[in-house]
Amino acid sequence: MTILYGATLAVIAAAGLLTLLRLVRGPLALDRIMALDVLVTMTIAATAVGAVARDDTTAIPVLVVLALLAFIGSVTAAHLVEKREGMR
Amino acid sequence: MTTVLNAVTAVLFPAGAAFCLLGALGLLRFPDTTSRLHAAAKAQTLGLLLVLVGAAAQMPGRHAPVLLLVALFQLFTAPISSQIIGRTAYRTAGLDRDLLLRDELADRLVRDGIPLPGHDRPQRDDDAER
Amino acid sequence: MNRRPSHSDRFSQGLRQVPMIVWLWLLWVLLWGATSAVVLVGGLLVAVGVVLLFPLPAVLPGGVPRPLRAGRLLVDLLTDLVKSGCTVAWQAVRHGRETPSAIVEVPLSVDSDLLMAAVARLTTMTPGTVVIEIDRRRKRLYVHALPVRDQRDIARRRSDVQAVERRVARAAGHHRGAEKPGPGPTRPDDTRRQSRGRES
Repeated sequence: MTILYGATLAVIAAAGLLTLLRLVRGPLALDRIMALDVLVTMTIAATAVGAVARDDTTAIPVLVVLALLAFIGSVTAAHLVEKREGMR
Repeated sequence: MTTVLNAVTAVLFPAGAAFCLLGALGLLRFPDTTSRLHAAAKAQTLGLLLVLVGAAAQMPGRHAPVLLLVALFQLFTAPISSQIIGRTAYRTAGLDRDLLLRDELADRLVRDGIPLPGHDRPQRDDDAER
Repeated sequence: MNRRPSHSDRFSQGLRQVPMIVWLWLLWVLLWGATSAVVLVGGLLVAVGVVLLFPLPAVLPGGVPRPLRAGRLLVDLLTDLVKSGCTVAWQAVRHGRETPSAIVEVPLSVDSDLLMAAVARLTTMTPGTVVIEIDRRRKRLYVHALPVRDQRDIARRRSDVQAVERRVARAAGHHRGAEKPGPGPTRPDDTRRQSRGRES
């Protein structure tokens, strides 16, 4: 099972790297918001896998907070983008 | 019982991770913001859902519901944020119109005499603003 | 039938809040991860307080939700999720930059805020379709669909979304034509009172 956890974490980490690339490159603010949102999602997934692998449940409540914050954050940021573009 | 749960995790973890990776790949490869939304939504819903359910199968009873709660929450909120980002992308010309095979929303906006966003200041039409 | 004391009216309105209170209570206990007396009582107080302080408008107009249909909806959603997830993934790997997409106008037949929101959300949830704009008054969704190659694909996407809509309407007990008139005198222009009478 340890190999399985390691492999899963490695794949999620690779996905996170690709997302980071989009975060850096993303031509629009919206792309960056989206990439950040996905990055948080991957953090949640990786934390869950890590909690299982280390048999340590301390981080579980943090996942709830992360999920909430990511949602509120990206919605707010998207609204700001719309407002800013609308002022132009 | 443990064997079954282990098997569930052994299937769901790689599948979820694979969807995360494919979503990230799509995020990198798709040509415009709106198309990338599709890839992002996939990593966010499918990938995370599978991983969380797989993790819940391994957790002691007390924590499994919390993980499922996170999954449920994500399933509910991810569409909302991607819908808002998609709407903003359309209104602020975040999508490449040349890549669209057909744009029936633009057809309607033209019929209604509303200037297309991106060519002019994006204008809110009240009936769409609910 | 026609004159109802306001006391029982308020009671039935309070009764409608019960599922919300129970859900909030459950959430509280779940997040605390313990079932001591303090958590249970405190949670109940917080749940009631939240419902009283932030009342939500009643969203379910008439129609009785059908658990079986809703379960079917869930199963369909999950298969849709996996199936179209694979399609989009394949698209990302194989075609990448040259992915053809289109914005499709989907006329809906349901006429309720809740159901339209549900259809829009389910559509966005499945990969390959994102709702870009909702026209509430004309009952239209504008959907950005991903692998779309020709006119036939556009028509297929449109009917896909409409199929989801039918499923949602059925799950909420809103099937068109299946609406049976209530036992009381039914006047077509007074549907609001009619649905209220059916509930209590």
